[in-house]
Amino acid sequence: MGALPPSSHALITAPLRGADEIRDNTAFEAILWALSRPGEIRHLPEPGPRTILLALVDRECRVHADDAVIGELAAWTGATLTPLAGADHVFLSLEPGADIARLNTLKVGSALYPDDGATVVVEARLGRAEGDGQRLSLSGPGIETTREIAVAGLPAGFFALRDRLCRYPLGFDLFIVDGSDVIGLPRSTLIEVL
Amino acid sequence: MTSLASLTKPWEAFSYGFLDASAKRELRRKMLKAVAVPGCQMPYASREVPIARGWGTGGLQVTLTLLKPTSVVKVIDQGADDSVNAASIRKFLSRVSGAGKTWDTGEATILQSRHRVPEEVLREDQILVLQVPNPEPLRPVEPNMSVARQMHADADYGRLWLTLYEQMVRSGRIMQGAAYPSLVNGRHVMTPSPIPRWDVPKLHMARHLTFLSAGREKRLYAVPPYTRVEPLVFSDVPYKVEEHHDLTCHRSGLTGYFMNEIPQNDGSSSFEVSDSHFGIKAIRRSEGEALAPIDTWYKNGELQP
Amino acid sequence: MAYVATRGGEKAIDQSERLYRADMGTIDAGRIAEIRRALPWLIDRVMGEASLYEADLAALALAQSGGDLYEAVLLLRAWRTTQPRLTIAEPVTQDKLFTHRRISAAFKDIPGGQILGPTLDYSHRLLATGVLEGRPFVPAAVEPATTPAPAEQPSLAAWQKAQGLVADPAREDVALDDIPDLTREPLLFPAKRAHTLQSLARADTGGVLALGYSAMRGYGNAHPTVNELRLAEAEVVVRHPRGTMFSAGRVKVSQAEVTSKGRSGQLDLGFCATFGWNEIKVIAGATLDLNAPDAPQNSPVNEEFFLYHTEPVEASGFCIHFKLPHYVTFQSALDALRDAKAKAAASDAASTASAPARQPAVTEEVPA
Repeated sequence: MGALPPSSHALITAPLRGADEIRDNTAFEAILWALSRPGEIRHLPEPGPRTILLALVDRECRVHADDAVIGELAAWTGATLTPLAGADHVFLSLEPGADIARLNTLKVGSALYPDDGATVVVEARLGRAEGDGQRLSLSGPGIETTREIAVAGLPAGFFALRDRLCRYPLGFDLFIVDGSDVIGLPRSTLIEVL
Repeated sequence: MTSLASLTKPWEAFSYGFLDASAKRELRRKMLKAVAVPGCQMPYASREVPIARGWGTGGLQVTLTLLKPTSVVKVIDQGADDSVNAASIRKFLSRVSGAGKTWDTGEATILQSRHRVPEEVLREDQILVLQVPNPEPLRPVEPNMSVARQMHADADYGRLWLTLYEQMVRSGRIMQGAAYPSLVNGRHVMTPSPIPRWDVPKLHMARHLTFLSAGREKRLYAVPPYTRVEPLVFSDVPYKVEEHHDLTCHRSGLTGYFMNEIPQNDGSSSFEVSDSHFGIKAIRRSEGEALAPIDTWYKNGELQP
Repeated sequence: MAYVATRGGEKAIDQSERLYRADMGTIDAGRIAEIRRALPWLIDRVMGEASLYEADLAALALAQSGGDLYEAVLLLRAWRTTQPRLTIAEPVTQDKLFTHRRISAAFKDIPGGQILGPTLDYSHRLLATGVLEGRPFVPAAVEPATTPAPAEQPSLAAWQKAQGLVADPAREDVALDDIPDLTREPLLFPAKRAHTLQSLARADTGGVLALGYSAMRGYGNAHPTVNELRLAEAEVVVRHPRGTMFSAGRVKVSQAEVTSKGRSGQLDLGFCATFGWNEIKVIAGATLDLNAPDAPQNSPVNEEFFLYHTEPVEASGFCIHFKLPHYVTFQSALDALRDAKAKAAASDAASTASAPARQPAVTEEVPA
């Protein structure tokens, strides 16, 4: 071996940040803020649920995706694709008229392990204009008093079903994605349909 | 996928922010669950990191997951930025991420702390990461972690209440010093880490997000913004913080903040403000430097609502 | 800025590290090679506790830490954290191990034979002080047997199962990806079998010995008989991306199976295996495993008790963390104590009757 410079034990310099790390960190920052302050809109690095999946999912996860492309992406990360009832990460595509009875099998965790409740991502429209979508009043952790939001494009009864399944501390945690916009609705949020 | 090379990746000494991508993803998943169920201890794998277990490895893993080059980190131990272990952690965080370093609470985006919450009010864009030695508030009454977990599942806090009651009867007050058990979001009792009682109310309905992470015990939990954190007290005996309201720092002249007591040769004590950079700023201000006004949780020794 | 002068800060920690390393001098490749050659049993122990099989890195960790075992294990574990998991090797079965040493205390002879292999068990523990006087210690050469022992040996437990002496649970075929991995998920109780064995495999040798010894002395229900102890090499068989299976190399492994008469009228077995050759650890670990079923809570042979308390990085780290300042928690406790004393004094002054004096006792601080 040629003469190498002596190396100090202080062998660490900051490594470069790759594109994946930047994307995952940005997406996580957005959804962490969104879940910590339910109803506040944050921005994902690109439209759709893709960046949420990439920031969270790998071979340790069991994923259900309604959309085949998202499913392929999940499989590419090494995650196991499973039916909805066994999934810890669920990517839903819900038409407004869809039958949502199948969502009754969503994992909600147990009193011993509430963290087994699923993380659910669904695409819908976050209403901005007056009269655009179902108006919801939110309260609970992350909200000083109450916060009003509007969501359009989800099947009727979706929030009633969520209400039935989220028996705190059991429940699932929801992200609603609209383009690059995302809001979080953790199980701790009380949602009143107005 | 036809060659051995496809099993591997270009060699690098370690990833950005030290933790590899899969470690960060696991932490992200658990941090989200911790936010979704405030105060509930979420188990995580807790990788080994280049500092010893018990020296802030839990806080470190949370901070490393959050870090980006534009982050600015403040690290304190017992309130002090220049404490040796705080200096070591701050240096490591900056080394592996290129993040900025600061002593000033107001400048920081991420604050990693052992045993203190700064005196200055944290903003909504700041994240507090508390290092936790023992995440289990029930340990004094139940050392077995599996049994304690079942007690949390059942919201069975009777034995904890009983020990507090016994202290009331025996000593006329609850004798818990730091790490005062507190009910979060009306459901889970957590230990706020060994912060003094003085600091617990700062977590209640705060603007900022707090993570609490125990690396050795492999549990992390969170207090989101605007979340109820209520110290366990009996209705007729109010919660009592340390009686530091009237103490004055002999260096900075500050009065009404949490103090370190310094025993003196003559048998008396002198005091210095525990939040060391807060003290430094007061000194600089008294020397004529123009510094932005500071909002504090306590004013005139009293907690501001 | 008066605070800065009173504390050490960054300069102090830098200098203290220099002081620690000063006597050890320059670490070069020669030193690593010598440590690796001279201390194979220590390397094995460190690799086992680090759960990282790489002798050069283990030697480097020992060199960097000056031989402080806990520091060396932490260095390796922290390095391990940064490495991606590329693939999962095929399971190894006992009868496919390249066996160097295999003994059973349960029978005079066993199918496949007793193979003494390398051991100091029957050596006289005499220091070769001549070395210090300039007379090198040259070990006598090994004389190969006329017929070498077979490289592979059957499992003794297999014979016992065939005899109906031990329970023969149905084989569970678990997909490689589904084998629980302690380094990627937390240890929870009741522990998955894989977690228990992984946890013992990376446990602190001294810690496992201490708790295992307590069980051997009687703080457990079952007295162990060494059914089979092996030192061997195992092929690391992985799948090539093209689909073919190949051996990426061999690793040294130790395993022990201990047994005692079970309540069901059969023999119970306890098992422990680890990277590297480390007989003490696997015998003591197997003894803990043997005693774990139905152990009383909080006894040394209770699974939660021994797995938590034999984790070398956690135990050593927590032990040394008590050197960190705790003056905030102490101040908080002091405040409660003074207030209680004042209250007691006030109430004593107020009461005319001679009531017993109150004894304030500060709640045990949660150590930090």
